[in-house]
Amino acid sequence: MTYSIISIMRQELGLVVIALLVLFFDLVVNEKNKQKVFLIALALFGLHTLAGFFPFEGGNLFGGMYSTQPVHILMKNVLNIGVFLVLLMSASWLKTPQIANKSNEFLMILLTTLSGMYFMISAGDFLMFYIGLEIASIPMAILAAYEKFKSRSEEAGIKFLLNSALSTGFLLFGLSLFYAAAGSIYFDDLTRTLSQPSPLVALALTFLLSGLAFKLSLVPFHFWTADVYEGSPMVVTSYFSVISKGAVAFVLGILLFKVFPVFEGLWQNVIYTLAVATMFLGNLFAIRQKNIKRFLAFSSIAQAGFILLGLLHTDNLGIIVIIYFVLIYILSNLAAFGVAQAVYAASGKENIEDYNGFYKTNPRLALIMMLALFSLSGIPPVAGFFSKFFLFTAAAKAGYYWLVFIAVVNTTIALYYYLLVVKAMFINPNPEPLPTIRSDKYLRSALFITVIGIFLTGILSPVFEYIQAMVDKF
Amino acid sequence: MWQDITLQDVLIVSTLMFFSGVYGFLTRRNLITMLMSVELMLNAVNINFVAFNYFLHPENMHGMFFALFVVVIAAAEASVAIAIIIGIYRRFKSINIEDVSNMKY
Amino acid sequence: MMSITFHQAVFYFFSAIIVIFSILTVTSKRILRAATFLLFVLLGTAAFYFILNYAFMGALQITLYAGGIVVLIIFSILLTSHVGERFEPIGWGKMIASALVSLIGAGFTLYVLLNADFIPTQAPLPDASVKNIGTALLSYERNGFVLPFEVVSLLLLAAIVGAIVIARKEPHDTENPNNE
Repeated sequence: MTYSIISIMRQELGLVVIALLVLFFDLVVNEKNKQKVFLIALALFGLHTLAGFFPFEGGNLFGGMYSTQPVHILMKNVLNIGVFLVLLMSASWLKTPQIANKSNEFLMILLTTLSGMYFMISAGDFLMFYIGLEIASIPMAILAAYEKFKSRSEEAGIKFLLNSALSTGFLLFGLSLFYAAAGSIYFDDLTRTLSQPSPLVALALTFLLSGLAFKLSLVPFHFWTADVYEGSPMVVTSYFSVISKGAVAFVLGILLFKVFPVFEGLWQNVIYTLAVATMFLGNLFAIRQKNIKRFLAFSSIAQAGFILLGLLHTDNLGIIVIIYFVLIYILSNLAAFGVAQAVYAASGKENIEDYNGFYKTNPRLALIMMLALFSLSGIPPVAGFFSKFFLFTAAAKAGYYWLVFIAVVNTTIALYYYLLVVKAMFINPNPEPLPTIRSDKYLRSALFITVIGIFLTGILSPVFEYIQAMVDKF
Repeated sequence: MWQDITLQDVLIVSTLMFFSGVYGFLTRRNLITMLMSVELMLNAVNINFVAFNYFLHPENMHGMFFALFVVVIAAAEASVAIAIIIGIYRRFKSINIEDVSNMKY
Repeated sequence: MMSITFHQAVFYFFSAIIVIFSILTVTSKRILRAATFLLFVLLGTAAFYFILNYAFMGALQITLYAGGIVVLIIFSILLTSHVGERFEPIGWGKMIASALVSLIGAGFTLYVLLNADFIPTQAPLPDASVKNIGTALLSYERNGFVLPFEVVSLLLLAAIVGAIVIARKEPHDTENPNNE
C-alpha cells in the first residue's frame, strides 16, 4: 500500500516536496544567497517536468478519491511545461528590488497552486475536486496582489478573490444538489446512480457550469478578467491566462466526458451557447484594447471559447484535441507574454502603441511576437493552425457545422486584431521607438523553447500521436 | 428525534440565505460586506449538504464532511481576503470598491 | 389542520432568525451591525446542526465560523472603518436589478427543489459522534477522508505564508496613496 501510494502519486508528492523545500531553503540560507533558491527551484522543477514523461502505471487510491491514468499524467505534463516557462520568464521580475525579499514565497505559492490543479485533475470525487480548485484559486489571489507597491495589483487580488469566492458559492450549490440526487460525492457512484436527467440534475448542472464558467472566464461570466489581468504582475497574468485556464479546461473536459456523459443533451446546448457568446464578445472587446495585457486578456477569453468546441465531440477525440490545443495555446501565449514581459522589464511600457517601430530596434523580439500572434490566430504553417484545424474537425465530426462556421468567422476577426499589433511593430512609424532590449538568459531560453515549440508541435506528427496514445489508454 | 421537520423547510431557508448573499454581493460596495455576503452563500451551501445528508442519505457522512471542509476553506479564504483588504486600506484609506477602482472598463 | 409541535416551533424560530438576519446582513447601512447580524445567522445555522443531530458540526460552526471568521471580520472592520459610519445609499436602478436577479434565481431554484421528488429514507440516522468522525477523517478506505484532510493543509500553509507576505510592512512601503 505505502509503496504504491508513492509511485502512483509521485507527481503530486514531488511537487509538494519541491514547494516545501523552497520554503525550507528560504528559512535556512542567509540573506545573500536567497536569490540562489530560485535556481534550485528551477532545476528541481525541470527535473520534475522531465520525470513526468517516464511511463508508469496509473491507479486509484483512497477508495477512489484519487485516480490517475495516462491521460491525467499527460495533462499535468502539459501544465508542467507551461509552468517551467513561466518560471524562466519570472527570473528577472523576481530580482527587482521590491520583489526580491519575497521571491521565494512567490515560488512556493506558485507551486502550491499548481499542486491544487494536479489534485483537481486527478480528483475522483467532488470534495477533492473542490479542494483542488480552491488551492488553485485562493493563493492565486495572493500572487495577483504581489506587487503591492502598485495599487492596481492589490485591486486585482481582491477582485479575483471575491469573484472566485462567488463562483465557488455557485459551484458548491450545484455540488450539493448533485449530492442530493446521487447520495454520494464519488464520481463512480454518480455515473452509476444518475441515469436519467431530471429537473434537479439540470439545475445542479446549471450551477456547476456557471461556477466553472467564471473560472474559465466565459462570457457572460468574464467581467472580472480584464481588470485582474491588467492589474496583476505580468508573470502572474501569463500564469492566469495560460496555466490556470488550461487546468480548468481539462477538468471541465474530464467532468463532462467521464462523469456526466449521460446528460450530454443537457449540457451540450449550454456549451454551444457559451462558446458562441464567448468567441464573439471576447474578440469584439479585444479589438478595442490599447493595453497589451488587456488585449491578451480578451484574446484569451476568445481562445477559451474555441476550447469549448472540443467539448462538443464527446469521446476521446474531444479530449485529444483539447489537450493539443491547450499545449499549443500555452506555447504561443507564453511567447507573446514573454516578449511583453521583456518590453515591460526594460521600459515599463505596456501599451500597444508603444510597440510602433518595434521591428527596427528589436527585430528578433518582434519576429517572436509575430510568430506567437500568428499561432494564436491560426495561420499556417505554425502550430496554432493545426490545433485550431483539429478542433474544428472535431466539432464538425460531431455535426456542429454552424458552430464551426461561426468559429471560422471569429478566427478572421481575431486575425484582424492580431495583425493590428503586427502592423504596429513592423509598419507604423515611430520617431522614438523602444530602445534595443537585452533580456536575461532565462527569458531568452524561455522564448527559444516557445519558438521551437510553435514550429515543431504543429509539424511533427509524433506529438499528436503521443497525445492520442495516452488518451486512448484512458 | 425531530422527525416532524421536513427537508423542504430547510431547503427554503438555505435557498433564501444563498440568494440574499447573491443580492448582497451585487449591491454592496464595501469590500468587507462583499466578503460577508460570500460567507452567507457558503453557509447556505453547508446547510444544504448537512440537510441532504440527514434527510436523504444517512448511510454515509459525505455531506457532513463536505460541509466541514467548506468551513475550513472559507476560513482560509477569509484570512487571505482580509490580508489584502487591510493592505488596500493602508494605501487608499478606504475599502469601497469605487475608491479602489482606478481601472477603466 | 395539524397543530405545530414543539420541535417545529423551535425549528421555525431559528429559520425565522436565519432568514431575517440574512436579509438584514446584506441591507444594513452600518457595517458593524451587518457583521453582528451575520453572527446571528451563523449561530442560527449552528442551531440547525444541533437540531439535525450533528453536534460536532454545530460546535465547529460556533468555534470556527462564529468565533473565528466573524471575529476576524469585526477586527478588520474596526481597523478600517469609523464607528457609526453609514453606507451611501445604493441607486434604485441597481438595487431593483439586483433584487430581481436574486428573486428570480431564488424562485426558480425553489420551484425546482420543492417539486423534486426527494425520497425520504428509512435508513438509520448517521452516527456522527466525534469518534466516528475522527476515524473517518483518518481512514484511507472508501468513505474515508484522509486525503482531503491532508491536502487542505497545503492550502492553509499557502494561505498563511501568503497572508503574511501581503500584510507585512516593508521598508519601501510608503503611505502615499498614489505611489505608482
